[in-house]
Amino acid sequence: MRVRVWGARGSVPAPGPEMNRYGGNTSCVELTLASGETLILDAGTGIRTLGFSLPPDLARINILLTHLHLDHIQGLMFFPPCFRTESIIRIFGPSSPEASLEARIARYISAPLSPVEVRELPCDVSFLDAPATEWEIGGCTIRAEAVTHRGPTLGYRITDRDATVCYIPDHEPGLGTDLAELGSEWISGFDLAREADLLIHDCQYTDEEYPGHEGWGHSPVNDTLTFASRVGARRTLLFHHDPLHTDGFLDDLHRTARRRWGELGGDPEQIAIAAERAEIAIGAVPASAPARLAV
Amino acid sequence: MRAEMPGPQKPLELILARNLLTSVTTPAFLVARDGTLLFYNEGAGALIGRPFEDIGQLGIEEWTRRFGPFDDGGEPLPFAELPLTRALREGRPAHDELTVRSADGVKHRIAASAMPIVGAASGASGAMVIFWPVDDEQAREVTTGRHEVSR
Repeated sequence: MRVRVWGARGSVPAPGPEMNRYGGNTSCVELTLASGETLILDAGTGIRTLGFSLPPDLARINILLTHLHLDHIQGLMFFPPCFRTESIIRIFGPSSPEASLEARIARYISAPLSPVEVRELPCDVSFLDAPATEWEIGGCTIRAEAVTHRGPTLGYRITDRDATVCYIPDHEPGLGTDLAELGSEWISGFDLAREADLLIHDCQYTDEEYPGHEGWGHSPVNDTLTFASRVGARRTLLFHHDPLHTDGFLDDLHRTARRRWGELGGDPEQIAIAAERAEIAIGAVPASAPARLAV
Repeated sequence: MRAEMPGPQKPLELILARNLLTSVTTPAFLVARDGTLLFYNEGAGALIGRPFEDIGQLGIEEWTRRFGPFDDGGEPLPFAELPLTRALREGRPAHDELTVRSADGVKHRIAASAMPIVGAASGASGAMVIFWPVDDEQAREVTTGRHEVSR
């Protein structure tokens, strides 16, 4: 499986020269499966550039949304395949007793916030509640579970042959509790992330910033690392960068995280930080992936 | 690093309920759908005389044998009549006054309110039972957090 980051920012896009290396686009990660099929995790503004890189003849596209906060869906309306008649797009997301997934997303893709309505998109798009049990796409197994954030939010565990990726970009498992002391069965997201080859996890705040942001649904460095340690993640990708964090700030955050991981007994090389366009290969790398366009 | 191999992960709504109970001084139990005592907070620990860490999770027979509740004659109340059971059975809050027994054998009169917890994905997963000592002085100590859990 090949993992490519198209947006690692949280909350709101953060463009600017001081953000160039890590990027300013919001959450979007592309998984290319061993079968060559593409899975897209979240539709933040990063999905726009991803869309330009996809071959125009790529018909079937699957998007897994963790939740419907704007930084995870904002790019959907600017995703080029949405405007191709030959595209077949399936969008999975959290269910809600309040309204269907389509109706909730349509609040954004509708007037006055948008010049187009969902029903006007020329592609064949369907909106599906993420199943409560495991399901398959393109030969991989997907599991979705609710995790601690504000509002209905899912984390995903995707297993493709010998590789497992866990994606929990917005997560505050340490809210009101000490993750280091808590029984594993009481930790949000534990089963999703257990012994994942790559854990892509929220790390929005430094430990010093966190006290002013408790309950906002995001993790500080220490909780991210404790969670990664408890679940036995083989590699962790720090994700969902705060829009105020510049490249230099994120360099420091990464150094701190690696040092603390070492203090926890881990190999600092296991801790990476997400940057736009970064690629990570896990397990079997796709041999038959469609040719990509340079963007 | 290797992951621990725990039991099945609890549904998110129970995880969040436990976090909430940990953060309040009002005595409260968290109970699974089958009646298993999953957790109680420090306020409840102060009332029954033992912190949760000393007791751990208990099946329904065990925790009702230890703590009650009892009727006015000291006999254990039938499980089906507890506010907790009614809340789970009927899917709505239930309230009653009961007698419980602390670890040192002292009986306390309490008012208990049970609320079912229904998750988006897992349905009815358990109940939260919040209780107050009827005794005014003790109630004041517990609800203001001026109590200690004996260890």
